[in-house]
Amino acid sequence: MMKRFAIVLTVVLLAISAFPQQDWIRTGTGLGVEKLRLAVPDFKTPPGTSAELATAFNGTLWNDLENAGLFDMVSKSFYPLQTPGAPQEYTAAAWNVPPPNAAMVAFGSLSADGTNLTVLGWLYDVRNQTSPQVLGKQYREAASTDGARTAAHKFANEIIFRLGGGIAGITESKIVYVCANGRNKEICIMDYDGANSRQLTRLGSIALSPHLSPDGSRVAFSALSGNNWDIMMYSLELGRMVSFPHFGGTNLSPSWSGDGTKLVFSSSRSGDPEIYSVSASGSDLKRLTNVHGPDVSPVFNPQSGAQVAWVSGRTGLPQIYVMGADGTNPQKMTDQGYAVSPSWSPNGQFLAFSWLRRYGPGAPGARDIYLMDIATGKWAQLTHDGGANDFPSWSPDGRHIVFQSSRSGSDQIWSMLADGSQQKQLTRSGRNSEPAWSFK
Amino acid sequence: MRANADIWLEHEPWRGSFGLSLVLHAVLFGGIMVYAIVGGLRRGNDWGSATGGGGEAMSATLVSSVPLPAHPDATNVVATESKGLSKSEAKAPETAPDAIPIPERQSKRKPWEKAPAAVRPQKPEPVQTATNVVPFGQGGPLAGPYAVFNAGGAKGGFGFTGGGGDFGSRYSWYVDVVRRKVAENWLKYEVDPRISNAQRVYITFDIVRNGSPANVRVEQSSGVPTLDQSAVRALQRIDTFGPLPNDYSGSRVSVEFWFDYKR
Repeated sequence: MMKRFAIVLTVVLLAISAFPQQDWIRTGTGLGVEKLRLAVPDFKTPPGTSAELATAFNGTLWNDLENAGLFDMVSKSFYPLQTPGAPQEYTAAAWNVPPPNAAMVAFGSLSADGTNLTVLGWLYDVRNQTSPQVLGKQYREAASTDGARTAAHKFANEIIFRLGGGIAGITESKIVYVCANGRNKEICIMDYDGANSRQLTRLGSIALSPHLSPDGSRVAFSALSGNNWDIMMYSLELGRMVSFPHFGGTNLSPSWSGDGTKLVFSSSRSGDPEIYSVSASGSDLKRLTNVHGPDVSPVFNPQSGAQVAWVSGRTGLPQIYVMGADGTNPQKMTDQGYAVSPSWSPNGQFLAFSWLRRYGPGAPGARDIYLMDIATGKWAQLTHDGGANDFPSWSPDGRHIVFQSSRSGSDQIWSMLADGSQQKQLTRSGRNSEPAWSFK
Repeated sequence: MRANADIWLEHEPWRGSFGLSLVLHAVLFGGIMVYAIVGGLRRGNDWGSATGGGGEAMSATLVSSVPLPAHPDATNVVATESKGLSKSEAKAPETAPDAIPIPERQSKRKPWEKAPAAVRPQKPEPVQTATNVVPFGQGGPLAGPYAVFNAGGAKGGFGFTGGGGDFGSRYSWYVDVVRRKVAENWLKYEVDPRISNAQRVYITFDIVRNGSPANVRVEQSSGVPTLDQSAVRALQRIDTFGPLPNDYSGSRVSVEFWFDYKR
C-alpha cells in the first residue's frame, strides 16, 4: 500500500516538474541601419499670432515625425539660441556640430490672419554646403486648432515621403475600433495618433470587428441584430448605415480586399463556421473552405489579393492558415499553441497575429503579438510581459502596428513600430478594442 | 434466479480504494499548490538568460520599410524603448610606474658620454580600422558620409551619374535615401553561409522619374552566385526610392552600386 502510494507520488511530482519553461527568443534586427538625426525647432510666429495655434502646430509636427520611426529627433534643449524661421536666418554651422549634430533641420514660420492660417516650411540638409534645400512648402488652412493640426500633418507627411524612400506618411490615416458604451458596443473612429475620436454607429447592440474599405468610404463590421450576427455596412460619406444582405446564420469578421471589390467573412449559414467571399455590393457569394471545424477571421493579402489568411480550428486549437483567394492550396502557418487574429502587411511579406505559444492549464506564457515572414515561416515576438495583446492591424506604410492590449488594466488601443519598439497608448478612457487601420 | 439476486446484494469492498483515492487527490492538489507557490516565487528569474529556455538566437530582417533601430553593441536585443546610450567600459589595468634603474657606476665611461636614457616601453596602440575610408577610385563628388555604407560587416558604395554629373553633390539627401533603402532590403541570410569573403560586386541600375529602379544588372560578378543574387533581389524588392527631386531636370539617374562582402 505504502509502496504504491510512494510510486504514485513520485509520478505526480515528476509530472509537475516537467512543465516547460518559458521560451525567450533573441532578435537582432536591421543591424547597421541608423536613423537620421532630425532637428525641428519651433516655427516662428509674428507677434499677435495665437499661441494656441502655434502650440498645436509644433506639437503635432514633432509627434508626427517622432512617430514615423525614421528619425532620431534631436532634443529641443540642444538647439542653438537663435533658431531660423526663414532660409536667410539659417546657418549650417549652428547645426552640424555637437550638441545638435543634426543631419536635417525642418524649420519655418506660421502666421494667422482672422480666417486663414499660413505655414511656410523648409527642410534643409545640414551636411550639404552648396545646395542644402530639400523641401520648401507652403500650406493654407483654416485658422483653428484643427487647421493647424492638418497643416502639420501635411508638412510631416511630405518630409516622411521624401526622406523615407517614397512611402507616404500615415499622419492623415484613421483607425476604426470598437468602443464600449455602457452595455453596448459601437464602432468609433480616430486619427492615427489617438486624437479626434468620435462614435460612428448608434445601433444600441453589440458591434464587432470593424474594417475600413480601401477608399475610406465605408466601414464593414459585424453586429448583433435581433438574434443574428450579420455583416453591416456604414457609409462615412453619408454618415449612416447602408444596406447589406443578410446571409443567415452567424456572420462575423468581414475584411476588404486591397482593391475594394471584395469582402471575406466567416458564416455559419451551412451549420459550421466557414469562410465566404462576396462582392462589395453583397452579391456573388462564394464558399472558400469546406472542412469540419470552425474557420474564422479571414483577411486578404492586400498586395496581391490572391491569398487569404485565416484562423481554423480544424486540428483542435485555432491556428493560422493561408490559402489562395479561391480556396485552393491551404497551408498551416503555425503549429502550436493558440494563434488568432491574422493581419497581413501592406507589402504582402508579413503576417502579424496574436499567439499564445504554450496553451493549456499551468502553461507559462501570455498572449502576445508576433510577426511571421510568409516566405520562410520565421517569426519574431513583438510584445513582451504586457497583459493580453490581440487584434494587430498594419498601418498603410507597413512601419506601424496598432493592437489591443490589457496591460494598463483595461482593454485599450496601443500602437508600435513594426519591430516592437515605441509602444504607445492611444486610448485611455472606457474600454476600446479591435482596432483596424485604414488603407491610406 | 435467487442465486443471481444474491450477487447484486453483495457489497463490494470499496473502502480501501476510496480511501487511497482520497489521499491521492489530496496529494495531487497539494502538489499543484506547492508548485504554484514555489514556481511563482522564482518565476522570471532566468528569463532571457542562457538557461532560460530553448530559444535560439534568431535574426529577423523586418519589412523593407521598417526603419530598424541600430543596436551596434547589444547582444540581446529585445524590443525596448531604450537603446542604452551609455556603455560600461572595462577598467584599464593599472600598471606599476616604471622603476627608474639606478645607473651603474661606470668609472670607465668618458665624461662627455651621456648615460643611455632609460627607454620607456611604448604602450601598444589599438589598431583602428577606419569605417569611412573611400577606396581609391571611388571618391569624386560623392565622397563623404552619403555614398558609403556598412551593413553588418559588408561595405558598399554608390556612384550616381545623371544631369550635369553633380547629382550626388546636389541631391546628397536622395543618395542617402537610396543607400539606406538598399541596406534595409538586403537580406544577408540569402547569401551562402559558407562564404566569408568575396570579391567586389558591381551592380548597375537606373532610377526613373517616379523613383522605381529599372534595368538592374550585375556588371561584375563576385564569383559567388548567391551573393550576386542577394544583391539583385535587394533591388528588386524595392518598389520605389521616392520620386526624383522636383528641380532635377533629367528623366533618370544611373546608379553604380558596389560592395565588398565580409562575414
